[in-house]
Amino acid sequence: MTVAREREQRLLASIARDVADVLASIATLREATVEVFAGADAAGRPVDRAALATLHPLIARLLRRHEGFAAGAGVVLAPDVLADAPRWIEWWWADRGSGIERLAVDHDPDSVDFYDYTAAEWYSEPERTRQQSITGPYVDYICTHEYTYTLAIPLIYGERFVGVAGADILAQQVERAVVPELMQLEHVAVLASGNGRIIASNTVLYPPGNVLARHEASHELLPVAGHGAADDPVAGISLPWTLLAGGEVDSIRGR
Amino acid sequence: MPDSALSTLRARTLFAPLHAGGRAETVTRRLADAIALGLLLDGERLPTESDLANQLGVSTVTLRDALATLRELGFVETRRGRGGGSFVRAPREHGATRLERRLRELSLHELRDIGDHRAAIASAAAKLAASRSTDRDVQTLREHLARLRAARTTTERRRADARIHIEIAATAQSPRLTQEELDLWSAVGDLVWLAVPVHEVGAVIDEHDALVDAIERHDADAARTLADRHITTETERLLGLRLELCEP
Repeated sequence: MTVAREREQRLLASIARDVADVLASIATLREATVEVFAGADAAGRPVDRAALATLHPLIARLLRRHEGFAAGAGVVLAPDVLADAPRWIEWWWADRGSGIERLAVDHDPDSVDFYDYTAAEWYSEPERTRQQSITGPYVDYICTHEYTYTLAIPLIYGERFVGVAGADILAQQVERAVVPELMQLEHVAVLASGNGRIIASNTVLYPPGNVLARHEASHELLPVAGHGAADDPVAGISLPWTLLAGGEVDSIRGR
Repeated sequence: MPDSALSTLRARTLFAPLHAGGRAETVTRRLADAIALGLLLDGERLPTESDLANQLGVSTVTLRDALATLRELGFVETRRGRGGGSFVRAPREHGATRLERRLRELSLHELRDIGDHRAAIASAAAKLAASRSTDRDVQTLREHLARLRAARTTTERRRADARIHIEIAATAQSPRLTQEELDLWSAVGDLVWLAVPVHEVGAVIDEHDALVDAIERHDADAARTLADRHITTETERLLGLRLELCEP
């Protein structure tokens, strides 16, 4: 294996590990939420907002543990699951320097500011597939107000989908982790998300946020690592991202 | 609806802490304004007295003072017992009266300037959205378009319209343009549909359709031009109505 190929695979494995760490914390949060449901069931009580509030210390711990990487975390309930609210989000975000704050959104369908989270990809995908999902990068204008990824794991109680547990990661944190590594490669290298959006690259020819398929074919880009690559080195950690490689970069400005 | 579901946006407008004297009076004015502007909706339950006092940064005594005045003015109704609390009572204002009052608050120059700002943001967002949209983004836009077409009230149209423009800015992959759209819609969004006469509703919806079509075709130039023309038409409509208010 060439030095470049090893470097590419190391890069992807490293960011996949960072993401997997957060996913592991979300899985812990999911377990705790399922226990809240089981505890209420055993006591013959319905689950309400007060019962979910007991998750706060765990969510706070998750945000502290992933400080600087995860910007927000919590659980989002499917409609009509809680006894005292038709829709509910128990989501907290890390406010720079001053602890954590609860996210307040408008759940009233008749309100001008109504936020229908069931339509969001990070909710509808885990609901549909019953698998964890990694959404983004996308502009999150509800919580972080930044370019964001959302990791989400379905909450299943019994056979029933009762919501998702998840966390937000700011796009700039992923960028900080991968761009220095990309810059060490001598050829054009582009990291793209599952829906073909550019996450990061080592040339201005492929700026983040653009859609790869709509780029002029100035380089022939081939998947070299991750999802879609012939020799998938990080299959164990299912990151829906692909690292693509092209010709040599003569300068940062490309060509 | 949960008590604490006042959105971040409204919370920011309403609950900036008070500092100056005459606190009960200031609280009264602020809540009355929020109700008149539609930031607090008719029938909406206010947070508990202690929560509300806390959020406004005043004592419960001051807040009770203010609530008493608001009750006298008919802005708030207090019900006792189970399911009780303080509820908003919006003054029944005819759409045309409300539009007139809002328009009188703005000069022709301000209206034109707001229109220019909206056009600049909307056309830049549309151009970038056309080049950066995925099928999923277009699908989301189409869902909001369907909501706009199905809407029967001015409030519903405003909500769907705002979401279309905010989603276009999000599709542009720009948090800054998205924030601009959010700010613009919260500041002047209510004016947009109040000004549209019934016989023009279909045409305005068609403008949004054409814009989303251009984004779906990835035709950046067309998307930019359509967005610019759409906002310019809206601005001209508002300027025309504002001019009529100046007639002797």
